Amino acid sequence: MQPAGMYSRDRCVTGVHGLDEILRGGIPYGSTVLAAGTCGSGKTTLGMEFLVRGANAGEACAHFTATEPSVKLLENIRQFAFFDMKMVDTGLINVFDMDVLYSWLGLEKSTFDLDDVHSLIKSIVDIVNTIGVTRLVIDSVTTLCYKIKSEQLIRDFLFTLGKKLATLGCTTILIAEITSATENAHWSSFGVEEAICDGIIVLGDIERMGHLLRFLQVVKMRGTSHSRAKHAIELTPLGVMLTPMLKWGAISDNVNRWGS
Amino acid sequence: MSIVGGLEVFELDQGIADQLTEVSLNSSVQVRCGNSNSFMVTASTLIPLLQMFEMKGVYISASRGAAEVIQAFESVGIDVSQIQFIDLVSSGILGGTNIPYNNVHFVDSPIMLESILLRTLYILQTNQSERNFVFVDSVNALAIYNDDRMLAEYLHTFINTFRQQDVLSVILNVPDQTPPLVLSNLDLYCTDLVDRGQVVIH
Amino acid sequence: MAKEIQFEAEDEEFFGKVGSFGVPKFDNEMRGGVPRGFTMIAFTDTGSGSELFAKQFVSPAEEAENTIYISTNEGQAEIVRIFQKYDWPLDINVRTIGEEYNSNVLEKELLASRYRLEGFRLEDIQRLAQTRFVDENNQDYLTEVTNEVMALGPYFRAVVDSLDFFLQRDDPARVVAMVRMLQAHAQMYRGLLFLTVSTDGLSPSIKQELASIADMVLSFQVRTIGTDFETSMMVSKFRNAPENLKILVFRVTPEEGITPETVERIA
Ligand SMILES: Nc1ncnc2c1ncn2[C@@H]1O[C@H](COP(=O)(O)OP(=O)(O)OP(=O)(O)O)[C@@H](O)[C@H]1O
Ligand SMILES: [Mg+2]
Repeated sequence: MQPAGMYSRDRCVTGVHGLDEILRGGIPYGSTVLAAGTCGSGKTTLGMEFLVRGANAGEACAHFTATEPSVKLLENIRQFAFFDMKMVDTGLINVFDMDVLYSWLGLEKSTFDLDDVHSLIKSIVDIVNTIGVTRLVIDSVTTLCYKIKSEQLIRDFLFTLGKKLATLGCTTILIAEITSATENAHWSSFGVEEAICDGIIVLGDIERMGHLLRFLQVVKMRGTSHSRAKHAIELTPLGVMLTPMLKWGAISDNVNRWGS
Repeated sequence: MSIVGGLEVFELDQGIADQLTEVSLNSSVQVRCGNSNSFMVTASTLIPLLQMFEMKGVYISASRGAAEVIQAFESVGIDVSQIQFIDLVSSGILGGTNIPYNNVHFVDSPIMLESILLRTLYILQTNQSERNFVFVDSVNALAIYNDDRMLAEYLHTFINTFRQQDVLSVILNVPDQTPPLVLSNLDLYCTDLVDRGQVVIH
Repeated sequence: MAKEIQFEAEDEEFFGKVGSFGVPKFDNEMRGGVPRGFTMIAFTDTGSGSELFAKQFVSPAEEAENTIYISTNEGQAEIVRIFQKYDWPLDINVRTIGEEYNSNVLEKELLASRYRLEGFRLEDIQRLAQTRFVDENNQDYLTEVTNEVMALGPYFRAVVDSLDFFLQRDDPARVVAMVRMLQAHAQMYRGLLFLTVSTDGLSPSIKQELASIADMVLSFQVRTIGTDFETSMMVSKFRNAPENLKILVFRVTPEEGITPETVERIA
C-alpha cells in the first residue's frame, strides 16, 4: 500500500489494499460508485472495509443495509484486524437498517411513488449532512430500486441522490446485485444505474478449470485514469487483497498442456 | 554437519549454506534438484535459512500435502514452528484438510495461482518479522496443473512481488520435469542458482 | 385442569345459580337468567342492537372490579355516554382495543410525516443508528385480552365486543383457541362471558366451531318489514335447557334499553 500522502488531495483514498493503486490514488471526492457483483463476490466486505478504513482516518461513515441485518453486519465487521468497536461507539461508523428507516418514514410498502422517493433521498441526505458523513455505502441499491417501479423514477432517484451527496462531498458506494459479471453482462439490474454513476467496480468470479477465483475490475471511474484489468482478490482479516489476474489465466479452456 | 533422523542419517549439503550467505533478501534463488535428492536439497536449504539467518517463512507445497512435509522435516529434527505452510494439494482430497497443525493454510487448487500469491502476502503481513523467505515446492509440481504461459507469467509476477518487498524467494525445480518455456523464464527472473540437478556422489 | 376452586357458601348464596342478563324481561324468558359459568356467543347483524345488549349485559356488575367490558369498535367516550344515559355503573373495567390500535397507528403516522416534512434531527439520527429492528406495531392484542379475562376471579362478568377485530388480524385458529381457554376459565370460575362476532364474512367453519364451544348461542338479526325495521334475537343453543330456545323481537327504549316485546318458540 502506498502512503496516502503520495496522492493528490482531490481523492478519497479508499485504504483498500491495491484498489487505490488501480484507481491511481483513490476515488475522486463526492463520486457515486456502483459496486456491482454476483452473490458472495465480496460486495458487502468491500463496502465495510471502505468504511472502516475511513473511520480509521477519522472520517464519519454511514452504512445503509437492506440485504442483511445490521446486527450480523456489525458481527462480521469485527473480523477486520483494523476495526475497533470504538468506531461505532463514538459515532464514526453508523449502521442503519433500511427496514427501520422505511418504518420510521412510513414506507412499509412494496412500491414507492415520487413522494416516497423524495422523502427517502431527503432523509439520507439529512443524515449525511447532520453527522458530516464523508463515506456512504448503500447495500444494496438493487433491493431498494425494486420498490421503485418506473425506470424514470429510478433514474431520478439515483441522479438526485448522487448530486446532493456530491455537493456534500460524500463519496458513495452503491452496491448492486447482478447475476453475471462476465464480458457481456450489464453492470446493473435496472440498466440505468451504470450510466448515472460516476464509477463502476465489478466483482465476480471467473472459473478456472472448475475452481472459482474472485475478481475485481474497475470498469469506469470518471475523473481519473485507472487500470481496467481484472484483479484477483482474497477476502482476509487484513481486508480485501488484490493482485492482477494472470493474463493467460482467464483462458480456462484450450489449455496448452506441456507434455501432452 | 549431519543430522540424525528417526531412521536415517544423511549428510547435509554444506555448499548450499555457503552459497546462501552470498544472497540478499531481495534475491530470488532457483534451487535445482533431481527426484532422488530433493528432500536433502530442501533440508539443506531450509536449515541455514531458519538457523543461521533466523528467518521466518512461507512454504508453498504443491508436490505433497503439508502434513507429510512437516512430518518429514520433523523426522530429521527441523523445527517448523517459524514456517507457515500453504498446502495446495490436500483440499483436493476429501478429509485432507483435517490435520493437527495450526500453521497450515489451504488453497483449493494449484491452479489458483493468484490466490497463492495473495495468501502468501497475507501471511507475510501478519508475520512479525523483518527477514522472511518464500519457498516454492515446486515449479515442476505447479507445471502439472498449469498452462506454461500462465505459469511463466506467474513466476515473473511472483518473483518481482517478493523482490520488491525484500522477501527472499527460493524456488525448487526439477529441471527435466519442467516445461522449457517455464524453465527458460525461471532462469531469466532468478538472481541466483543453486544447481543440484545431478545427484552428487560423494 | 385438575385445579379445584373452593367457593364460599356465602358467595354462592349472594351470586346464586344464575346471573341476570341485565334485561329483566329477558331473564324471565330464560327461566331467571344465565347459569353461572356460561359462555355466550352472539352472531350479529349490523345495526341489530347487539352492542347495546353487550353493554347491558355487564350492567348488573355484581362486583365492578371483577367486571370487564372490552370493545374493539367503540371509544371510551362513547361507551361512557351510553352508560350514563341508562344510568349503568361507570366503575367497571373498560378496554377499548380499537381506539388503542388506532392511536398507535396514528402516532406512528404522525411521526412519519414529521420526519418526512421536517427531516431528522441529530437525536433522531442517533436513535435510528441504534435501532436494529423494526418496532413491530402489531401488539398482540389477542394475548393481552385473553390474559386480561383469565386474570378475573370467581363470578366475573366479561364481554368482548367483538371478535371480528382478532379474526381479521390473527390466525382464526388462534382466536378459536383463545375462546376455548376463556370458556374453560368461565366454567371453572363460574364467570359469565359474552362474546360477539359479526356474521359478515364469518366463515361457516369458524362459526360452527365457536357455536360448539359456547354454552349459549344467540343471533341478533334485523329485518325490514314495510318501512320499518324489526330487531330480534334468536336463542339457538342453551345448554341443558332446550325449552329456552326461542326468538324474541325487541325494541330499544330510552328507559330500559333492550326491551323484548314478542316471543316465538322455535319449533
Ligand atoms: N475474512 C474472510 N476470509 C475468507 N472469506 C471471507 C471473509 N470474509 C468474507 N468471506 C467470504 O466472502 C463471502 C461473502 O462476502 P460478502 O458478504 O462480502 O459478499 P456479497 O457479495 O456481499 O454477498 P451477497 O450477495 O450474499 O450479499 C462469503 O462466502 C465468505 O465466506
Ligand atoms: Mg452482501
